[in-house]
Formats: sequence, structure tokens, C-alpha cells
Amino acid sequence: MLGISMLVGGYTMDRLEIRQIHPASIPGLVPMGLGVAMIICSTLLIVSAGSGTDQSAPAERGSFKNLFVSIILCIGYAAGLLGKMPFALATGIFIFVFSLYFSWTDGERNSRSTLILVALMALFAAVFSGAISLLFQYGFLVRLP
Amino acid sequence: MQALQSLADALLGLMTPMSLFHVAWATLLGIFVGSLPGLTATMGVALLTTLTYTLDRDAAILVLICMYVGAIYGGSRSAILLNIPGTPASAATSLDGYPLAQKGQAANAMALATAGSALGTLVGIVLLVMLAPPLAEIALDFGSFEFFWLALFGIVISGQLTGGGSVLKGYIAGLLGLMVAMIGSEGIHAHVRFNLGLSDLNGGIALIPAMVGAFGFAEVLTVMWRPKGEMLDSSSESTSALPRLIDLWRYKFTIIRSGIIGTIVGIIPGVGEDIGAWSSYAAARKLSKEPELYGKGSTEGLTAAETGNSAVVPGALIPALTLAVPGSAPAAVLIAALFIHGIRPGPMIMIEQPDFIYNIAAMLVLATVAIAVFGLSLTRVFIKILKVPRELLMPIVFTLCVIGPYALTQRVFDIWVMLFFGLAGFVLRRMNYPMAPLVLGIILGTLLDKSLRRGLTLSNGDLSPFFTRPISATFALIIGVSILLGIPAVRRTLARLLPGRRETVAQDEP
Repeated sequence: MLGISMLVGGYTMDRLEIRQIHPASIPGLVPMGLGVAMIICSTLLIVSAGSGTDQSAPAERGSFKNLFVSIILCIGYAAGLLGKMPFALATGIFIFVFSLYFSWTDGERNSRSTLILVALMALFAAVFSGAISLLFQYGFLVRLP
Repeated sequence: MQALQSLADALLGLMTPMSLFHVAWATLLGIFVGSLPGLTATMGVALLTTLTYTLDRDAAILVLICMYVGAIYGGSRSAILLNIPGTPASAATSLDGYPLAQKGQAANAMALATAGSALGTLVGIVLLVMLAPPLAEIALDFGSFEFFWLALFGIVISGQLTGGGSVLKGYIAGLLGLMVAMIGSEGIHAHVRFNLGLSDLNGGIALIPAMVGAFGFAEVLTVMWRPKGEMLDSSSESTSALPRLIDLWRYKFTIIRSGIIGTIVGIIPGVGEDIGAWSSYAAARKLSKEPELYGKGSTEGLTAAETGNSAVVPGALIPALTLAVPGSAPAAVLIAALFIHGIRPGPMIMIEQPDFIYNIAAMLVLATVAIAVFGLSLTRVFIKILKVPRELLMPIVFTLCVIGPYALTQRVFDIWVMLFFGLAGFVLRRMNYPMAPLVLGIILGTLLDKSLRRGLTLSNGDLSPFFTRPISATFALIIGVSILLGIPAVRRTLARLLPGRRETVAQDEP
């Protein structure tokens, strides 16, 4: 699909005739070539997958729950929190939630150890979000998002 | 002799307290980044690029080189102790490093890895100083026709050698990178292509956010997705942390051979440290007197792998500096960093800044000395570093992935680019698509596009100069043969025609 889109996009791209450019230097030339190459490679890959000659390594196994939570937290931070509150606060919340969630799921604990864990993670998040914010704001003179 | 004199002058110029301070912290940080599974050399260099743009030019490049060398070396720590390569470059190291650690020789294995890395980098530096100036001179004869083939050569070879079992996936990754490079204003008529109606895409996709996403965010997701690694308890062993000189002397030919193989692999565009390590390892095993020990704790195998991957670093800088074509993924980021700091790598470098290559070689020497000193003296400290839990490290890394690219241009759009490439990079990796050709495609896309159209304009639409000029013809022939050899049917036919090769090909194919 990508190959076909690239081919069509390249073919229908403005040829800039009004600027009287050389026909061999039209902007769509290379995109058309890439589209054709992608179509050929994808077709061959589909054929080889169908005939069982694809020799790439088998996929690894992992935790899709961890992956899903990580994606939600990361995108929630970058797209949801940033810009809506001070950078240090957004970063602190993200680091705290991320580290606490994955430390929490590591084992069973009683109320005392839970309290210690939450306090430690809060301290960790505060120290690092503060340090990163100060480094970029005053060290590199960046206007934080 | 002149080259050595220039190298010595460059070294003397770098012997200032501030430079040595930069060498120390950047190499230590590099070793730290490399030793933690999930933090790769490419990611380290990309993130550090965003942190060094306020430094002066030489200091920034020194810091990035030290990070690169340190990270490639640092990967051996977790490969030996966790059986998880800290960076892909150390995958071959874990084959013999981990069995050695299981036998209670972790410190000896790490000491040998340190010596191998340092010696490998030194072999590469010698070749860098010898080969880069003449290569830059040859490259002065390159015109549009040759640059088109060079760009295509990089992507084809990188796709071929990093695609693993499926060459097609390597090619597709390269094509995807080239397609990304087509986005935005093109270099000849300034016509905006494929901006999807977004004005932010008019300038194209910036390399640093894309790389930070593909190597940073994607790694964060990979680390959190994978099961945790179990570290061996090495506290009770009593083996020395210094390499035994007799071992190094015994493996002198392995070290020199692996250094040369690693450097050559580094010179090939887009073929990185992991291939350098595997090639050196395979050659050492083939020529070893004790091939049966390989994979079971061979000190020779470990030395070959570490020498090979470290020699790729100076090797990868040879085409990066003289042709602006990266030899590896971290070298691709280094090229972007050079542009940020006002240095234009390419054939003109020996004319515009003749001392620059020697400065880079001198920086590599200092980084090598630093890895040797830190590697041998801080072995036990690095064992402790490996115990940093991933759930504490990864949110910090992701925060740097977000703020790093933003800091360069102060555009929120670059954060979106980073997120997109991170998710896409993770999916592509899970589907066994290599990242190196993709990165190379993004870097070389503009060169390929401009060179092809400029060449066709010069020849008035005639394709023949692309095949008749001597250097162009050579590139075209190599590319054609490489693609043909990538087709399984052709390989099988060749194996039937060449009886001597039958056995090798049979071993290659499961």
C-alpha cells in the first residue's frame, strides 16, 4: 500500500512545467522509483512468506501488559501532561507513576513496606524531575514546554 | 610519518585539563549507557547531541566520540554478567563471556574484553589515519553519478548485511528510510513533497528526533516488554581484574585480524558494530586451534568479538568524515552533530579542515585510554551499576527522549516525531526489520535524490554516464552482484556450479 501510494504520489506530483525545469529533474522522479521498488520488495516478501522461505529470526516473547502500560504512560506524559502544567510537575508525576507501578507489580508487600515504597518513589521522582528541569532551564537555557 | 606527526600534534592540543575532564565524564557516561541493557550507543550519542549543543565545537565532538567508544565497550559488561548484550554490538561477546562468568571468571572476562576493546580501537585508529586522507582525495573525483551509486550502495549493502535471515526486510527498511527522506522541501527546486498538509513537515523530518525515537523510545518499550535479566553473583570470585599479558600475547594475531576485520566492516556504509563483532568472531573460530571451546567460554572468542566491535568505531568514521556516509548508526548521529556544530563532513574535509581527521583520531585515542583505565580499575563498580532497576531508569530515559529533541529546536512537533518513530521502530523491530538501513535511508535519501536528478540533468536525461564512468560502473557492478547474491535461487545455483562452496552454503541455510 505504501509503495502504491508513493508511486501515485510521485506520478501526480507537480512537474513544475511553469518553471521550465528539465523533465529529468521533476520532484516526483525518485518517489516514483521508491514506490516501484517497495512494491517489488513487498510482493517478493509476501511470496517468500507464503512459500515458507522467510528465514528471519522467530519473534521474542515478552509481557504485552507491561508494554501496553508503558505506551499509555509515555504517551500520556508526552501528549497529555506536557504543556498543560509546569514541566517539572508533569515530569515528576510521570516518573512517580511509572516507577511506582512497575515496582509495585514486582512482589507482595505489607502496608509498612508499601508506604516506604511510595515515599521512596516520590522522593526519586522529585529529585530527578527537579534536576532535569534545572539542567535544561538554567544549564542549556531551554524554554521548557 | 606525516600522518603520525599530525596525530601527535592533535593529541598535544587536546591535553588540556578541560578536555581531559570531558574525556573522563563522557567515557564514564558512555560505559554506563552501554552496560545497561536497553541503552544503546546510538541512543547515547543521539541524546548527548541534544545536551552538547551549547558546548564549543571541539568539546562537543570530543564528548560525543567518548560516549560512542565508551558505550560500545560498556555493552560487554551486561553481556558477560547477564547474558544480555548491553548494546547489539556485544551479542557475540555474550557467547563466551557469559560461560566464562558462569565458571567464576567474570573479572578475567571483563579484563580481557577491556584489553580487546582498547586494542581493537587502536588498530582502527591507525587504519583511520592511514585510509581517510587518500579516500577523501579519491572522493574529490566523485560527481553526481558516483554519489548516486554511493548512496544506493550504502542502503543495499546495509540492508543485505543487517537483514539477518531476510534480505528483503533489510531492503524494505532502507526503502522506508528513503521514503521518510522524501518528506519536505526537496533540494533542487525547493518543491515541498508529501507534507500531508502539515506546515511542520515542510522542512522534512529532522534526524535527531527520529533517531531518539527509533533508538530511545523504542528501546524503553523493548526493555519494559522483555522479561528481566538475572545477574550472576560474581562477588565471591577471586580472579584478577587485570588481563593476563600472556593471554593477550597468545592472541596477538587474533587481535590484529579482528581489528582489521572490524575496521573494514566499519567502513562499509551502515553496517555496524554487531556485524563487526560477528565477522571477527567467525574468522577467529575458523582459524582457531581450539574451535571446540567457542561458545563454551573461549577467551580467544571473547577477545575477537570485543576487538572486532570496537574497531568498527574508527572504521565507521572513515566514510562518515570523508564521504558524509555513515559507517554505522551512531556514526549517522555523529554526522548530524557535526552539521549542528558547523562542520561539513565530505570529500572537501581534507581541503577545508585538513587537521580535523587527526583531531578525531586523537579524540579516539583519549577515549581508548579512558576505557582502558576505567574498565580495568572500576570493574566492581560497574557490576553494581548493572543492578539499577529498569523501572527507575526507563522513566528518566524517556524524559530525556522527550526533552532532548525539543531542546534543539524548541518545537513540540519534534516530540511527536520522536513518539511516532519510537512506536514504529518498536513494531518494526518485533517484526525483525533492521534499524540500520532505515537510518541510513533517512541520511542518504537527500543525497540519492539530488544526485540522480542532477546527474540526469547534466547528461540531458541520458542514463549511460551512470554505467560508463569507471567509479560509477564499479559501484553499479557491486550493487548488481550483491542483489543477485541475495536471491536464494541464485545462491543455490551458484552452490551447484561451485562444488567447493556447496558445504558453506548448506551451512548458511537451515
